[in-house]
Amino acid sequence: MSSSSNSPTVTAGVPVASQAEAPKRLPWAKWFALSASFQEERLFLLLAVFIGLFSGLAVVCFRLAIDWSRIWLLGPLPQPHSWRLLVAPTAAGLILAALVMRVFPSVRGSGVNQTKAALYIYNGYIPFRTAIGKFITAALAIGSGQSLGPEDPSLQIGASLASALGRRLELSREKLRLLAPVGAAAGLAAAFNAPISAVLFVIEEVIGRWSAGILGSVVLSAISSVVVVRWFLGSEPLFRIPSVSLVRPTELIAYAVLGVAGGVAAVIFARAIGYLRARLKARPRWTQYFQPALAGLLIGLIGYLGFPQVMGAGYEYMDQAMHDQFTWKVLAILAGLKILATTLSFVSGTPGGMFAPTLFIGAMLGGAVGGAERIFYPHLTGSTGTYALVGMGVLFAGFLRAPMTSVFMVLEVSGNYSIIVPVILANGIAYVISRSLQPTPIFDMLTRQDGLELPSLEEQREQVVLRVEDAMRVSTDPVLNSEESVQQAYQRVQESQADFFLVRLHPSGWASVSRDLLKRLVSEGKGEMTLGPMLPTGRLPYLHPDLPLEAALRHVYEAPLVPVVSRADFRKLEGVISREAVLNKYKVVSREERG
Amino acid sequence: MNHVILEPITRRPPVVIAGLVVIAVLAFLAVNRLVHRFQEQEKAWARQLFESGQADLRAGKPEKALEELRAALTYSRDNFQYQLALARALRDTGRTEESEAYLINLWEHLPQDGAVNLALGRLYAREQSLDKAIQYYHNAVYGVWGADADTRRRDARLELIEFLLREHAFPQAQADLITLAASEPLSPELQLQVARLFAQAQDNEHALAQFREVLNQDHGNTAALAGAGDAAFRLGRYRTAEGYLQNAVKADPEDAQAKHLLETSSLILQADPFGRRVSSAERNRRVRRAFEQAGKRLESCASAKGIDLNSPSPSTGLPSLKARWNAMKPRLGELNAPSAADMPDAVMDFVFEIEQQTKIACGPPAELDQALLLLSQDRAGAEQ
Repeated sequence: MSSSSNSPTVTAGVPVASQAEAPKRLPWAKWFALSASFQEERLFLLLAVFIGLFSGLAVVCFRLAIDWSRIWLLGPLPQPHSWRLLVAPTAAGLILAALVMRVFPSVRGSGVNQTKAALYIYNGYIPFRTAIGKFITAALAIGSGQSLGPEDPSLQIGASLASALGRRLELSREKLRLLAPVGAAAGLAAAFNAPISAVLFVIEEVIGRWSAGILGSVVLSAISSVVVVRWFLGSEPLFRIPSVSLVRPTELIAYAVLGVAGGVAAVIFARAIGYLRARLKARPRWTQYFQPALAGLLIGLIGYLGFPQVMGAGYEYMDQAMHDQFTWKVLAILAGLKILATTLSFVSGTPGGMFAPTLFIGAMLGGAVGGAERIFYPHLTGSTGTYALVGMGVLFAGFLRAPMTSVFMVLEVSGNYSIIVPVILANGIAYVISRSLQPTPIFDMLTRQDGLELPSLEEQREQVVLRVEDAMRVSTDPVLNSEESVQQAYQRVQESQADFFLVRLHPSGWASVSRDLLKRLVSEGKGEMTLGPMLPTGRLPYLHPDLPLEAALRHVYEAPLVPVVSRADFRKLEGVISREAVLNKYKVVSREERG
Repeated sequence: MNHVILEPITRRPPVVIAGLVVIAVLAFLAVNRLVHRFQEQEKAWARQLFESGQADLRAGKPEKALEELRAALTYSRDNFQYQLALARALRDTGRTEESEAYLINLWEHLPQDGAVNLALGRLYAREQSLDKAIQYYHNAVYGVWGADADTRRRDARLELIEFLLREHAFPQAQADLITLAASEPLSPELQLQVARLFAQAQDNEHALAQFREVLNQDHGNTAALAGAGDAAFRLGRYRTAEGYLQNAVKADPEDAQAKHLLETSSLILQADPFGRRVSSAERNRRVRRAFEQAGKRLESCASAKGIDLNSPSPSTGLPSLKARWNAMKPRLGELNAPSAADMPDAVMDFVFEIEQQTKIACGPPAELDQALLLLSQDRAGAEQ
């Protein structure tokens, strides 16, 4: 991927030896190669813009398809006790199961893990058929009232479009692998109308690490897709709430309580999905033809009995919750029912996303907690809308375990910056609680249930990072200067038992020389000559103490000793590192991890 | 990455880019058509739901109306008319917080809009948030309106004035009334309304002027006659009041208020010893009459309250007044003496004191006592 562009090799000094070993090229060939490389990079950025445009257009159509199917299946104004609420999701569930089992087997689930798998396992390959299948099945599922959202499918549709475009243009495997997250960011940004959140989520959850090489393309595609969506569907934020002002800092305690409640709810939600999904997957294959219909029937029943709000993505009801439409008790019931409905929909294998249900549960929970708190503490100034909005971020952080995305998502969907302090506090608490009670994040849990092992940024964050300073030692051997004579150098090394010595080159750089070589030069009568020109090899690579230990691995095989120098003064030796020291450090850490 | 092996895209970039542009343009046009059709359909649904919501509002079914208006907004989210209708419905059903959120959002987009500002003014008026209500009502008065802007601005100001009067914010109400009265040529009906509002705002001077303006245009306007009489009466101009009230009662003999004020005015004019063109003999007669009436009032009040006016230690209250009254009575003969020029004033001051004290003890008096009390208030006002 981008390892070549941001790897420590570049940060480290340039090894002269490797330069010398590079194949000789004619000047015109070099120019041609450089020009082609530059052109390719620019074209890739341009391609990211096109991917954003196409993903934006696809997401606009996707949203229209969801709305059409919802109105067609459930009516323009779904009301409780309507027979449609029972029939539509059940019938659609049967069709969905047939489509997923027979025609589009790769569209099952939300789409986030599938995109991640495409990136890490299938070299960025996502069949175009997946985009079509996801479009049709997710639109039908959400439109029929299954408790799922359009964001994750949009992410997968975007990634699938990008992958298809890359293949059509016969891009290299490396570039194809890069295109999937570019398309994913575009799809998600268009679905959320929130480019920053989409970029952050793709980095946090899909790519799994910050990578400068791809960031530009991801940002470009996200922005262009959002421009398209706003062009067609308007640029209003998803939710409208009045400005928030914390009259007293003690009010933050109320938001902290919401963070605790959200963390616990996120764990319940994740465990319910993890438990039921594993069991339903273990059932005979024929039962999978009926699981979405059964889930649809149960969700329809919830709607029929008086809570049609839990059906579908539910954005309009989130907006209503933010505007004090429901009492805190109703909000609490809706949060609980939505957890149940979404669990049923998701574990049944119905295609659709978890973003919108997560936001729904968070909004209802936030409103309920805020409402209940205000009964006991009427002086609290935050409105229901404020608590609902903070609640969204809380569940996003706790359930999806994307803490940075959760903060920016709340800011972007509300267009309201004044809420940032309560959001950061509550999200942080929910994230910590969720992590301690449910160590495996939901997406990782789902991939492991599917028998895959994909990298997780959260787990990477947990890992101990070994650095050069952990394995280097302070050098007690003499450091020679390239300007001194061979004789002087030979005399100085007599004081040491080592076989190899570092040489500080003039005006900068490092090299090494063996005791044997010095001895041979003296015996050949070259003792009065300057040491520098006598050195047989070129410059040594050098490292800095803060570099990851992996950076040292590339160099310790080229030279017996690699200098570790200060970043402020490259001639100042901080220590030396050898192959044995690196390997020993890894062995020690490995032994410690095994307990 | 192997830079020497060129990928197809870098070998033919113009063709690829041109192809992508063509596909993007075609896709854009197709999606545009699709979105346009869908949005038209959504607008139709929204209008249907909006009209249904309005009908339910009129039929007194606010909950159903709110659902329909909300649904209308889900199909036409940025529709100003629907948002305003929903915000108004929310406000009228007491959901002020939600209504405020909608209205503030609208206001942020259209801060000059008269209708939005008026709705916000009404919202804060309902919440009795005086400063905010005044701010948004004023924004509405000076805001942008569509058709019939002058009438809407004037109505907004009138509504603000009525709100201020309900809140007893008389100085603010008077300021807006003065602006309203000065801003445009008013019809007699509106001028009459303005005059009445001035009277409610306790600005009787302007009220009288406005009533007179109405009478200049319509001499026989009964309401204006009664209003002018009332304003003049409150200003203590009893002769002027009597004139207007006589005409008012003549025009509408059923107007009990005007009749009562007329009687009181006549009594005051007959009882006032300090009126212009009153001879000294007549003044002394009126002083004696007032003194006798005050004595009677004192006795009737004491009797009603069960107070013994002949108490042995009459240091305070009504018995003290009675003792002073008894002491003053023999001196009334000095009224005609040239050396006792201050005597009428001293007697009347005592009469006024009795009337005020008995009012405190026994409540408002009637007829001549009421006239004397009003005279005392006028005199106190004049002295201040």
